Amino acid sequence: MNKEKITMATVVGIVCILLVSVMFAQFRTVEETDIEGIEVAREEELRTMIASWKAKYEETSQKVQETNKKINEYQEKAESVEETANLLNEELAQTNMLVGKTDVTGEGIIVHLSDNENKQIEEKDLLYLINELRLAGAEAISINDKRIVNMTEIVSVNETILINTERVTAPYTVKAIGNQKYLSSALSLKNSGYIDIYTSLGKTISMSVEKNIKILAYNSGNNLMKFKYVKEAK
Amino acid sequence: MILIAIIIGCIIGAIIGINIPTIPYTYSGYLAIAIVAALDSVFGGITSTLKKNFDMKIFISGFFVNAILAMALTYLGEKLNVDIYLAAVIVFVGRMFNNLGTIRRYYVEKITTRKIIAKAEATIKEANEENK
Repeated sequence: MNKEKITMATVVGIVCILLVSVMFAQFRTVEETDIEGIEVAREEELRTMIASWKAKYEETSQKVQETNKKINEYQEKAESVEETANLLNEELAQTNMLVGKTDVTGEGIIVHLSDNENKQIEEKDLLYLINELRLAGAEAISINDKRIVNMTEIVSVNETILINTERVTAPYTVKAIGNQKYLSSALSLKNSGYIDIYTSLGKTISMSVEKNIKILAYNSGNNLMKFKYVKEAK
Repeated sequence: MILIAIIIGCIIGAIIGINIPTIPYTYSGYLAIAIVAALDSVFGGITSTLKKNFDMKIFISGFFVNAILAMALTYLGEKLNVDIYLAAVIVFVGRMFNNLGTIRRYYVEKITTRKIIAKAEATIKEANEENK
């Protein structure tokens, strides 16, 4: 009888512990949860809402990523276009300088040739001088501000000199841009140099070295720079 | 002795319940229905004790199986999108009221009988004194 009572008491006690502890836990849960906000919308609805919002978020973020990718692509393209444009511009500038379409400045030498009582300057003298200057590495040459380009001719017609089909008269000022040392030493070699040879022939030639020479662009009215017959070979 | 066990159990249970971490709100519905089922079992037990046909095995099995079944039915209802827990609440609360009514009637009858007996005893005593 007593034993039975003890077991019953323990069992009832355990049951009480279980029930009351669970009840208190539930009380606390209910107290701590913001039921008003949640109870308005049922849990299932909330879940579906969360799912739909998540899906929307993912969709939007995917779109953002795609758009960013496109933006990047466009930017890259724009950059490459800019790069090519820059390259082309650079090339164009260099080509223009090469063919003499732009005014250029730089260090170099100026050679003055003038007629005297005995000897006149001939077109051959100028041709030879230009050849010498080119050999010495002149990058731009002009005679009396007539730019010497690859199509330039220097001819003598009826005792007058034509450069770029325009008349040029003495005194002649030949400007050359290039390495000063090379240019000046090439012309002033003892005995075999241009200046020595021609002064010994009795012609008046002087040379000066300048830090800053300006050579004008090719600006002849004649269209020397246009090709009628030449085409690019493929 | 059983009363002491109940009181001690309630105190320990309260301490445990206050100290364990809170249950997520998602599961608190199941817990609530389990509590209702357990309370129903408790009241059923009290009623059967008063009726003198209390069986420990039936009480314990009812206590746990009812709670678990109520939880399972709630889960099923959630899956079926039918609020089965409402049915469980109605059944359990209805039975709780039945049991409470039985308990109330038992005590009311007990008190009335006691009064009647006391009255009867008093009249018997008076009669006896008069006879003397």
